[in-house]
Amino acid sequence: MGSLMGDWPSYDPQNFSQLRPSDRSAKPSKLTPTTYHPTHNRTLPPPNQVITTEARNILLRQIYQKAEEKLRPKRAATDNLAPEHGSKQSRGAIDSDP
Amino acid sequence: MSVWNYVVTAHKPTAVTHSCVGNFTSPQELNLIISKCTRIEIHLLSPHGLQPMLDVPIYGRIATLELFRPPGEPQDLLFIATERYKFCVLQWDGETSELITRAMGDVSDRIGRPTDNGQIGIIDPDCRLVGLHLYDGLFKVIPFDNKGQLKEAFNIRLEELQVLDIKFLYGCSKPTIAVLYQDNKDARHLKTYEVALKDKDFIEGPWSQNNLDNGAGLLIPVPLPLGGVVIIGEETIVYCNGSSFKAIPIRPSITRAYGRVDPDGSRYLLGDNSGLLYLLVISYDRERITGLKIEHLGETSVASTISYLDNAVVYIGSKYGDSQLIKLNLQSDEKGSYVEVLEKYVNLGPIVDFCVVDLERQGQGQVVTCSGAYKDGSLRIVRNGIGINEQASVELQGIKGLWSLRSSTSDQYDTYLVVSFISETRILAMNMEDELEETEIEGFYAQTQTLFCQNAIHDQLIQVTGSSIRLVSCASRELLDEWNAPSGFSVNVATANATQILLATGGGHLVYIEIGNGKLNEVKHIQLEYEIACLDVNPIGQNANFSTMAAVGMWTDISVRIFWLPSLELITKESLGGEIIPRSVLMCSFEGVSYLLCALGDGHLFNFLLNVSTGELSNRKKVSLGTQPITLRTFSSKDATYVFAASDRPTVVYSSNKKLLYSNVNLKEVSHMSPFSSAAFPDSLAIAKEGELSIGTFDEIQKLHIRSIPLGEHARRICHQEQSRTFAICSIKNCLINNEETEIHFVRLLDDQTFEFMSTYQLDAFEYGCSILSCSFSDDNNVYYCVGTAYVLPEENEPTKGRILVFVVEDGKLQLIAEKETKGAVYSLNAFNGKLLAAINQKIQLYKWMLREDGAWELQSECGHHGHILALYVQTRGDFIVVGDLMKSISLLLYKHEEGAIEERARDYNANWMSAVEILDDDIYIGAENNFNLFAVRKNSDAATDEERGRLEAVGEYHLGEFVNRFRHGSLVMRLPDSEAGNISTIIFGTVNGVIGVVASLPHDHYVFLEKLQSQLVKVIKGVGGLSHEQWRSFNNEKKTVDARNFLDGDLIESFLDLSRPKMEEISNAIGVSVEDLCKRVEEMTRLH
Repeated sequence: MGSLMGDWPSYDPQNFSQLRPSDRSAKPSKLTPTTYHPTHNRTLPPPNQVITTEARNILLRQIYQKAEEKLRPKRAATDNLAPEHGSKQSRGAIDSDP
Repeated sequence: MSVWNYVVTAHKPTAVTHSCVGNFTSPQELNLIISKCTRIEIHLLSPHGLQPMLDVPIYGRIATLELFRPPGEPQDLLFIATERYKFCVLQWDGETSELITRAMGDVSDRIGRPTDNGQIGIIDPDCRLVGLHLYDGLFKVIPFDNKGQLKEAFNIRLEELQVLDIKFLYGCSKPTIAVLYQDNKDARHLKTYEVALKDKDFIEGPWSQNNLDNGAGLLIPVPLPLGGVVIIGEETIVYCNGSSFKAIPIRPSITRAYGRVDPDGSRYLLGDNSGLLYLLVISYDRERITGLKIEHLGETSVASTISYLDNAVVYIGSKYGDSQLIKLNLQSDEKGSYVEVLEKYVNLGPIVDFCVVDLERQGQGQVVTCSGAYKDGSLRIVRNGIGINEQASVELQGIKGLWSLRSSTSDQYDTYLVVSFISETRILAMNMEDELEETEIEGFYAQTQTLFCQNAIHDQLIQVTGSSIRLVSCASRELLDEWNAPSGFSVNVATANATQILLATGGGHLVYIEIGNGKLNEVKHIQLEYEIACLDVNPIGQNANFSTMAAVGMWTDISVRIFWLPSLELITKESLGGEIIPRSVLMCSFEGVSYLLCALGDGHLFNFLLNVSTGELSNRKKVSLGTQPITLRTFSSKDATYVFAASDRPTVVYSSNKKLLYSNVNLKEVSHMSPFSSAAFPDSLAIAKEGELSIGTFDEIQKLHIRSIPLGEHARRICHQEQSRTFAICSIKNCLINNEETEIHFVRLLDDQTFEFMSTYQLDAFEYGCSILSCSFSDDNNVYYCVGTAYVLPEENEPTKGRILVFVVEDGKLQLIAEKETKGAVYSLNAFNGKLLAAINQKIQLYKWMLREDGAWELQSECGHHGHILALYVQTRGDFIVVGDLMKSISLLLYKHEEGAIEERARDYNANWMSAVEILDDDIYIGAENNFNLFAVRKNSDAATDEERGRLEAVGEYHLGEFVNRFRHGSLVMRLPDSEAGNISTIIFGTVNGVIGVVASLPHDHYVFLEKLQSQLVKVIKGVGGLSHEQWRSFNNEKKTVDARNFLDGDLIESFLDLSRPKMEEISNAIGVSVEDLCKRVEEMTRLH
């Protein structure tokens, strides 16, 4: 058992090094942290980080995706296209826009 | 009361639901972050232990709490999702010490069935996406872009409808989840899916595992190099990763929480529902598992969350008992446990029931709760009071008196502490190391008890003993003069100030002595008709060193008398009545008003207004502080005067707005107290208690103090009986009988002072105690405990049988007087017009208490009322009965005496699932329901039509965010009838998360004023994570969401006092009321709790 129990991870050996269990069998801790009341303006995230769920439902999304896949074989190696392949990328973008 | 309600928290939630560890406040600092339902707490790991940093209110009930670190970030971010489908990502800004919002959003769907097993929120270990399972059959994905920014969320259809757990797997090239689910044949399986972010769909995962343990409920993903998951069942633990598989049997148990120990995932701590802690060890060789092993470590509170912190120290968060900080020792102790509890964090949750009692009869309520569950069940005595923070203590038995002395009159600090014992006097002094050590004052006589000590004028000290007064020089510490008691007489009691000494010897002799320079002058001597019990010459007039009056308490005629000084001419004699002698008198002045306090040997305290110019006493008042003799002593703190009443229930007497207030002190028994302000312990008090001398500081802020009475079983109902000075509880004990887990149900009787079990009545097998009541009946002077029960049989959906048991307390024992079988569970019992009103399943039933011909009493059914789904909560007022139904909100019934019938008068037609009801006044009732809302309804007796009269109109709605189990009328603070706050009636509520809250009914103008303040505060105090206060407090259930109305958020309003001055001014300008007035009005509200 000793081998299983030993060698507990230590991130900072100082942590808890001076903590002694109080002699009266662990009396309740009385420390209470101060309560936070933010009054600054950064409780609101940057505008692009206000997240919503896409409105289109799963069925419609799949129908469009299938339609898109059907179109795909007509074009060469869609999967390998990198964004810098300018013209084809723009048409793809039009296709995916319902 | 009124429809204008103010809701405020007196005791914040303490039940811990989540915890996580990471570098949140700085890359170098390790933090523990814990969630207490509607609040998070940020702690810092330090050499001295957990250091609390911040308590953060969240406008939501926390469903998910996760730390994560996007690539390239120096420190962790905190992801929080709430039960009402909001989420936010918080970051700590170390420069400003503020929480800033990185992202937030709404993840609700308009259609979708909320999951039965709670919400799941997980973050991919490679930080590619956040996964949420909020509705059956849907998995929501919030993708991260490569800069760690969140993108628009989308749903994926999840075939499995009964999901038990979902976790991300480690080390997968595509984000992969493992789903633990139950099929429609109730078998449990594990399946994996890859999340294809581009196609926004699942791809069948690399592996699956069918036919798991029927109790499998928890997944633990294992980091690389091993990968895969551990599936925790009730009888087995299984590891699998598609290619390898390992299973071990375990002792049957339900695992509630786990915590990873090693970063490589080779050890985990598991906590089960009986509070046992295990270590799960996975051994492996490269990427192959070679062994799975489980070891029992010891016992903790029943864990809801486990976080390994550092250096073998672990945080155990609990919903059912006190949370703990534990250390895992290398060696087991004598009981075979490797667990050592380092600290405990008080948790009142779940408060299943409570009662408000005034055990000391001081007019101040204290709440006694049924707290905790299972083996962590306890009673908690919660009362408001003043705290003494102990700085140092030393064991000392038999202290008879305590005085502090300065080494010179001009000193700022006290040097000596004179401690008197029955046959000696010891002098302690602060040495250079700021330690107390024994010393000597040569002029003092140490071989006898000291009756009084004092710094006197001309840089002198006096010591009064049984035989003499010794006048000692401060400078030389030598005796300057001595006054000896006449031979044959000894000094019984003595008192003094800087210039005067008053003492009494046997035979009723009263001697007045003045202190000169090096000289004691006996000025006056009279003989009274009886022995003298106590004395005081505390100067309260113009001259701080000289009193013009003396107060004397007498034996035999039990009086208190006022004499002029120096003439010892009697001015006033006030008979106290009774046979208990006065033990301590004190003249004092609070806020310019002079009082005479006189304490008796039985713990009662008289107070009188004292006219300083005429010596007259008026306005006699009496309160009970305890049961033992009281010793009074004044002390000052921050220029205010206080009186410390040392007794078995130490109390501080002070004054606010020229009213005397009594506040409990958080100490058990204090025999003597002396102010002792030394350089090392400024503004401190020396306190003699129970064989100990301690030095502590006085914390003038009133706080709730909580005393725990561990029961080792789950108390579900509590009731107090004034006449027998007992509590009765219904409780459940979980026991192992023949290796079978069994519940035994009890009714127990407890002493209301010692909380010891006095008597126990064991209920039948399967018989639950559902309700308890102390009441008396018409035509019978006895007071009874009535207990309502239900036979809860596993094969029945609803109980069909129960009992009402009537007990009387005789010689400290519960005696069963009568029992009545019922056709269902007795959910509620109320005393009603000298009869007993019971709620039994769907029926309200009234019983008469009748004397049979054979001389025995029995309950006889009188009348009833059908028509509820389940009548769970009943309150009565006069002939009116308010019923809180399982599903059908609140209804109002009326008992008609002439017809002997109960009829429905009105009902609320909303479909609220009730958890508690209470009557605010004749017309207004308050309810709490299943979706954590409060609402108030009003009876319309003046309406024109029957239809309107039959409708209870909803007049207030509010989202509390807490599940209320009980409302009770009462107050946690001393209420004085003539103060402004005394006119505001309050009810107290207790919740599952351990919140004790107060609902106060305000006058309309008061409400309007505070509402204006609240609307300004919302603009200044922002919701953490960008969450909106308005949305948070809006009433919300499955059917509707409407703005809160006629309820104010007292927690927000009272946070005004924590604002910086400029922010206060901003609000003050906006509503046109001065900051001082605002503070005063808000402070008044804080005095309600």
